[in-house]
This record gives sequence, structure tokens and C-alpha cells, in this order.
Amino acid sequence: MGFKAYLYDIWEAVATTAKGMRITARYGVDPRETITLQYPEERWEPSERYRGFLHNDIKRCTSCTMCVRVCPVDCISLEAVRGADKKMVLASYDINIGRCMYCGLCVEVCPPKSLVHTSGYEMATVSRGELILHFVPEDAETVKGRVAKQVAEAAAKAEAEKAKAEAEKGEAEKAAKPADAPQAPDPSPPPKPPREEAAPFIQPAAPAFAAGNPETADAAGKKPAKETEEEPAKAGDEGGEGKE
Amino acid sequence: MLESLAISLVDAVPVLSGVPLWTITLLIMVVVAAVVLTFALTYAGLATYVERKVAGDIQARIGPNRVGPVGILQFLADGIKLLLKEDIIPAKADRFLFVLAPYLVFIGSFAAFVVVPFGVGLIASDLNIGIYYVMAITSLVVVGVLVAGWASNNKWALLGGMRAAAQIVSYEIPVGMALLPAVLIAGSLSLQDIVRSQGGLFGIFGWNLFHNPFTFFSFFLYYVAALAETNRTPFDIPEAESELVAGYHVEYSGIRFAFFFLAEYGDMFVVSALATACFLGGWHVPFLNAEALPAVWGNLFSLGVFLGKALGLVVVMMWVRWTLPRLRVDQLMRMSWKYLVPLTFFNLLGVSLWLLLFQGRGIPQMIASLFG
Repeated sequence: MGFKAYLYDIWEAVATTAKGMRITARYGVDPRETITLQYPEERWEPSERYRGFLHNDIKRCTSCTMCVRVCPVDCISLEAVRGADKKMVLASYDINIGRCMYCGLCVEVCPPKSLVHTSGYEMATVSRGELILHFVPEDAETVKGRVAKQVAEAAAKAEAEKAKAEAEKGEAEKAAKPADAPQAPDPSPPPKPPREEAAPFIQPAAPAFAAGNPETADAAGKKPAKETEEEPAKAGDEGGEGKE
Repeated sequence: MLESLAISLVDAVPVLSGVPLWTITLLIMVVVAAVVLTFALTYAGLATYVERKVAGDIQARIGPNRVGPVGILQFLADGIKLLLKEDIIPAKADRFLFVLAPYLVFIGSFAAFVVVPFGVGLIASDLNIGIYYVMAITSLVVVGVLVAGWASNNKWALLGGMRAAAQIVSYEIPVGMALLPAVLIAGSLSLQDIVRSQGGLFGIFGWNLFHNPFTFFSFFLYYVAALAETNRTPFDIPEAESELVAGYHVEYSGIRFAFFFLAEYGDMFVVSALATACFLGGWHVPFLNAEALPAVWGNLFSLGVFLGKALGLVVVMMWVRWTLPRLRVDQLMRMSWKYLVPLTFFNLLGVSLWLLLFQGRGIPQMIASLFG
């Protein structure tokens, strides 16, 4: 190494150090360079197309089970029974958000567009069971019981009407009546806030919701008689996942 | 100096005349030591906070901001945490040396505060061999580091200790050589004399930094070499987190680790204070003769100016730390022996010749004499 190269080395060391320090000084002094967001207080707005937690608007859900079938990781479980008006009534709709991989297939496939991605991404629980989102606020058995009762009533009414019609020979009214009559009490899950999580993982033991509604509790009590009417609506995966 | 203080105290308060003089002197010494130590610890605590803030700013982050307003109490929280941590001594460690090492490092670093000239009269002890004392006492740090590395019975720690010893011994030479020009100009090893020699009413041009071209370079050479002596990034190969986990203090926890930590920050201040005193005019207030002012104001002004300069240099150290990557061991040694040592020798020679040729006058003085 010649003397010239030696001096050049020194010059290079000084020059590059100065250059680096100029850059860090710029970052250090300029407040606009601070990009940290104070997370709990301020947060980024997620993009419109962000795939956050799933949310099902159960008033619009038709219980078609498309989401259940398409889900690659089987995180959605659904139970539905046929109501008195021949429409399906959701008994339970659970999404295991801890297992969900946010592929968005269920949202794409949903015919009534009731299943959507929200922008939610924050959830912390102490047990995995709490990661299951329940969209039907009531206990599945309660709903089934109430629907079965309604179906039974409708059937009994139809029977009575039929008998009456036969007796009076009023043939024309027979077809229309049974469809209208049970319509009013039917929309079984009352439009409560759907995200209310009732006793999530000890669900079978604690029918917390049913307690608030004596009518349905009654119905559940006298149900077993009408068991044959309610076909468990082909819920794909028997909801075993939901009761971890 | 302390004894004369004690005598004047006895004169002022006649009640004390019955007490032997050495008792009062000792008492004053303890008080002075306590004041200096309090300052040193407070400074070290705040410096950790500032360091983290500087690091945050440079890395486009925010830094600590949770404890107290803008996180200013973070260092208290950290200090309490370190005090409460479990004190772990490894089973196979050499217990006596393991316990001893942090104190050696701590003492080596903080004993140097004794001769730091904070102000006109604010110096714990104006030793007539001030610079020599600093060089000697800070070498105790090497012993402590090496002992810590050996006593931990851990290969990372031992490697760190060996590296630290090699590094500090290598860099002692350029540090000493770079400080000698200031000694030559003042003709004294006492730090107060060195600071006084930079007085005059030239403003900042009385500083040794502008005395002649050689002293100008000497300052930067000293700063670089001293940075290496404090074992800080880019010269932190004894700790080298990515290679040696934490180097010589890898086995230390709690308050023992805190001693190493405080010693590092103490070292930073000592180095900066020495650079300030030797090259940046020490406590001289520009365009104001601090010594001629009333004692209280003179001391306050000079203290403020000195702390401003020294802490400014500490911040520059932090700035360098968060800018440059770590040197390799061979690069570090090459830098010391092939660059810094020859250059500081050359500088020393240059300053000596300059003083010989121009009868000790610096460039500002010569320019001033041109205009009468």
C-alpha cells in the first residue's frame, strides 16, 4: 500500500462517516420522518377490501350452507331447521375465527351476500373456545324447539282448517291459509345485536339466553313429541367443531 | 484545596473550632464526593433516556414515551427494575472475582469524575497530574472487564473480556498522544491549568482546537480513539451483541449489570469532558471572563457552558453509534496501529515544532498581533 492509497483510505473513512452521519441527522431532526403510529390510540385505516373477521347478517342468511361447503378449513358450522312457512330457520351459525384463514371464498359464494368481511382484526382471548363467533344469539336447542312448536301449531291449524273445510266444503280457502297464519311469529331469531356472545364455550350447559324468554323455554320443555318434523337441515359438519 | 475550604469554614463558624481539622476536611470530602456521584448517576440515567430517544429519532421511531411525560421517567423505571431483579451468580463462576469486577469497572469510570473541571472553582480535586490521573484510573476499567470475562466462566464473556483488553490497551496510546498537545500548550498536566490556558477574550478562538492545524486534527483523533476506549459502537467488539451475545457482562444481572451500564455512560461523559477541557475551551464562557465575575455567577455560567459542551459531545457519540456499523476485530486493530498511532505521533511532533518555532503562540494570537 503506497502512501497515496494510505491517505486516500483516511479521506474515504472521513467522507463516508460524514455522509452517513448527515443522513442519520436528517432522520433524527426531521419530525416528518417518524412513521410510528401509537397503536392503541391511533391506528391505520384498513383498506376497503381488507379481509377482516367474518360477519353474517342472520336476518338475510338463507341457510343455504354454501359457505359451509366451500370453506377449505371447515371453520363455519351451521344448523338450520325448516320453519312452518317451509323456509329454513337458522338454529346456530358459528365461525371459528381462530381457524379461519381469511381466504374469502365463503364471502364470494354467499348468494344473499349476507356474509361479509368486516375490517376487524383485533381479538385476544384466554381460551380457543372464545374464538368462536356465534351469530345466532340463542341456544340452538331453544330455536329448534320454538320452530318445532310453531310447525306443530301450523300443522294442527292446517289439520283443523282442513277438517273444518271438509265439514263446510269451503274448498277454495284451504290452500292459502296455512301459509299466511304462522308468518307473524316466525322470524325466530329476534333482531338482537348478532355479536352478543353468550357463554361461548360452555354453551350446552348454560342456556343463558333462553332464560330471558319464558315462552321459548316452555316450548323447549314440551318439544320431544314433535321431533320427527324437524330435519336437521343438512348442516354439513354436525357443529362438533363449535363445541370445543 | 479542600483543606483551605475546611479552614475557612472553621473561621466562619467558631463553634467548629473544637473539632479537629482533619474531621472537617474529611466531612467536606465526603460531601463533595456525594455531590459528584449524584451528578454522575443522574447524568447516566438521563443519558440512557436520551440515547434511546436519539436512537428512535434516527430510526424513524418515537422511542420511550410511556413512563411520565414523553417518557422522561423511563430511566427511573429501568433503574428500579434493575434493583429488583434477581442477582444471579453462575454456579461455576469464580465468586470473588465475579462480585469484584463490576466495582472495578464502576470505580475506574467514576473516579475520573474527580478531576473533571466543571467550572471556575467547581472541581472535586484539582490534581496537578489531572490528565495522567484520568489515563491511569480509567485503565482500571480494562482490569474490571477482563476479570468479569474470566470470572463468568463463559466463553462469550471470556472472548469479550480478551477483546476489551486488547482494544483498550491499543487505544490508550493514541488517546494519550492526542491529549499531549493540550498539555504542551498549557505546560501543565492539571486540567484547570489546561482550561485556563485557553482563555483570553478571543471568544471561541482561544480554544486549543483553533490553536494550530495540528491541534485541530488532534481533537478529532482524540475523539475517535476515546470513542473506541469507551467500547461503544462502532467499536463495541467486546460486547458485540451479534457475535458474543453481550460479551463480558453476559452473565451479569440486576444491579451488577447496572454497574457496567452506568460505567459505560460515565466513561462517555469523562471522555467528552476531557475533550471539552483540552480542546474546546472547557468552562470558558465566550466573550466573558468567568473568573472575574462574582463567584456564584462565574461558577454557574462556567458550569452551564462546560456541561453544554460536554453533553453535546456525548450526544454526538450517540449519533455516531446509531450511524455506523461495528468494525471487525482486525479492522479495529488496523485502525489503531496503522492509522491512529502514526497520525497522533505526527500531530504531536507537529505541535511540538510549532510551539518551538512560534514561541507557543497560536494562529488566532498571531492574527490578533497583526492588528496590534
